[in-house]
Amino acid sequence: MNDVLIIFKREFNAYFYSPIAYVFSVIFIILNAGIYMFHFFFYGNADMREFFAILPITLALIFIPAISMRLWSEEKKLGTIELLLTLPIQSTHIVLGKFFASFAFYLIALSGTLVIPIVLFILGSPDLGPIIGGYFGAVLLGAFFLSVGIFISGFFNDQIVSLIITSLACGLLALVGWQYVPMVIDGWISGLGDFLYSYVGVTRHFNDIQRGVIDLRSIVYFISFTGLFLTLNIKYLEGRKF
Amino acid sequence: MIELKEVCKNYGLTKALIDVSFKVEKGEIIGFVGPNGAGKSTAMRIITTYTAPTSGTIKVGQYDVLENPLEVRQMIGYLPETVPLYYDMVVYDYLEFMGSARHLNGRLRSRMDWVTEACQIETVLHRPIGVLSKGFKQRVCLAQALLHDPDVLILDEPTSGLDPLQIIGIRNLVKELAHEKTIMVSTHILQEVSSIADRIIVINDGRIVADGSFHELQSQIEHENIFYLAVKAEHEKVESKVKSLSGIENVEVLTSDESDLTQLRIHYVDDNLPESLDKLIKKEKWTLVEYRKEKLSLEDTFLKLTKATKEKATERVVDKETEAD
Repeated sequence: MNDVLIIFKREFNAYFYSPIAYVFSVIFIILNAGIYMFHFFFYGNADMREFFAILPITLALIFIPAISMRLWSEEKKLGTIELLLTLPIQSTHIVLGKFFASFAFYLIALSGTLVIPIVLFILGSPDLGPIIGGYFGAVLLGAFFLSVGIFISGFFNDQIVSLIITSLACGLLALVGWQYVPMVIDGWISGLGDFLYSYVGVTRHFNDIQRGVIDLRSIVYFISFTGLFLTLNIKYLEGRKF
Repeated sequence: MIELKEVCKNYGLTKALIDVSFKVEKGEIIGFVGPNGAGKSTAMRIITTYTAPTSGTIKVGQYDVLENPLEVRQMIGYLPETVPLYYDMVVYDYLEFMGSARHLNGRLRSRMDWVTEACQIETVLHRPIGVLSKGFKQRVCLAQALLHDPDVLILDEPTSGLDPLQIIGIRNLVKELAHEKTIMVSTHILQEVSSIADRIIVINDGRIVADGSFHELQSQIEHENIFYLAVKAEHEKVESKVKSLSGIENVEVLTSDESDLTQLRIHYVDDNLPESLDKLIKKEKWTLVEYRKEKLSLEDTFLKLTKATKEKATERVVDKETEAD
């Protein structure tokens, strides 16, 4: 456990060495709040439904890949992976340390959007349930996407390549949970769309949670997929041939 | 301390290491020599557990590299060839991180003080690694390798990119450490090897070509004896007279036509040649200018060893067997 903490500390601090992290956090908050504000002023509803509706897409396409891209790609590019993996620390602990560091950074950025519910509570009396559910879902969703990102980052030396591939992968995962996409897929191969929608698609589970329906299955879905990708990353490192 | 047995490593179809076996005893300094791409770094990466071998067994101390990688890693200090460092980190933070990752705990501060002094990096301790010069980066990376006072040091080209003064500094440091540690230094700078290493292992095309002290290696390839002779006399006459002596294999004439000095390199097999040559010179009344037995230089030794790899493919098997005895 101590080893995880050592890696965590370095990785977490590493986010603040370069300006990229700050830039992306600001973009993330402005983008999400901005798109939401449009809706908010147009309809004048004191709820965050629209905010959580677009969150999976902005997370998948921009923000999560930007956080996770450096986790392994940077190590590979600098060659520091050679020293990191010859430290007397298990691969599992290194992966967990890196994952939790990126997760912590994500939580900080996400907490930046807490301004919105605060404003809502000042202006009106929004329903607290969906907002808490929404944030809870966002935490789980972030963990899942980050685990995909760290896994993909392990394959590439170039951070930009990691970013694009992660963005594609997470985008796809988000899309197959979007109601219309599985319908189209069902039109091609009957049953596949439905299968993807129920078992793979992220958005569906996220929507369930953010509606305030905290279904154990959805929680299990997020946690088990996060665990799966982290395990894959560990296995990849242990069986490395580079 | 380090033992490799029939280690092979393939990268796809490329064979990086073929049947590499050697043993390094405790307290030895091994010079690991070979041209670029010979497999030095691959062998070192396998010993440090970074890469897994395709086949063969490697032991560091009593631990097997594949079965107890964590114990092996704790024993080894490693300076990779590429000098990998986190450029955004401050030197002090970096050393602190590497130290705690190696579980130094209470010893961390004293060890950090020791390496900062030994590697002479006090002046840059609070600067980001990215802005340091190549020499300092190299020394920070070396400091990292020494931090946990490891029993085994694996240094992959530790002096590349350093100025002569820094090279001497690192060499002296390595020599100092040698009393208590097992050290493996890879390099292609030959003076370095002969100045610090007790034993030299020459590797070429993934195979061990030679293994022994510098003098052993020299004698291993000095099949023929060579004399250098310079006398004042006519070229043709000297050449023909010398050639007529018994036991001469070949005579190379080194002189240009204008000078009256005749310089020869005489390759011979007969041990009595010095006497007969001496007699010849006295008889002909040549003026002797220079007369010496030629020794192979470091570079020649190295070249001959690496060149001969392929030709000696069959011979080596025999060599190995006799070595084992």
